[in-house]
Amino acid sequence: MFDDLSSVMKRVLKFGTLLVLVIVVLGSLIGYFVAGVSGVLAAQLGGLGALAFTGLTALSVLVGARLNLAGFLGAVLGGWLLKMLLFLVAFTVLNRAEWLTREARPIVFFTIVTAVIGGLILDTRIVSKARLSADVKLP
Amino acid sequence: MQIIHLAAEVATQVSQVSGNLGVLGYGLAAIGPGIGVGLVVSKTIESIARQPELAARLQVTMWLGIAFTEALALIGLATPFIFV
Repeated sequence: MFDDLSSVMKRVLKFGTLLVLVIVVLGSLIGYFVAGVSGVLAAQLGGLGALAFTGLTALSVLVGARLNLAGFLGAVLGGWLLKMLLFLVAFTVLNRAEWLTREARPIVFFTIVTAVIGGLILDTRIVSKARLSADVKLP
Repeated sequence: MQIIHLAAEVATQVSQVSGNLGVLGYGLAAIGPGIGVGLVVSKTIESIARQPELAARLQVTMWLGIAFTEALALIGLATPFIFV
């Protein structure tokens, strides 16, 4: 059977969430040894940020797949713009948070980077394994 | 000679600028992926216009291109956590 756009995106969201959960657990362990409870919170924050950033794109494609081409592009690009603004505000607020100690800050960064790069590897694998059909009407 | 004077004047003006350099960081983190996503989308529209029957495949490939490009934006936005 062939896959469609929605089934690929649902698979990406499902396995992407699992990957981020694993990275958050590992990051929390490392964070606890490096910076205590603040390190654990930092790892969870990084995982949540990475999941929201990459997941929202997949979600916007999932929603856009039900619309026509203009609607699809509007959903994906509009979602991207909103996401950039949202993250600018969120990271500015978090950067001033006092509960995030100086030792714990790199944990946020490295959790995000690991989750994003791991997510990209996963995405590439899912897309390369997907069987997408060409919508050709045979005579 | 005039150029040297002008350069010295610009250097003096720049040294008096105050504010948060993080703003420049956000601009750089947004502009690169912005251009990248624009290119990915424009090429996808061209391709779908040429071969509409491949729209589903092209949309998935476009999403993968956007995912790689926006990874740079996310890493750029997160750098204040290690640099500040």
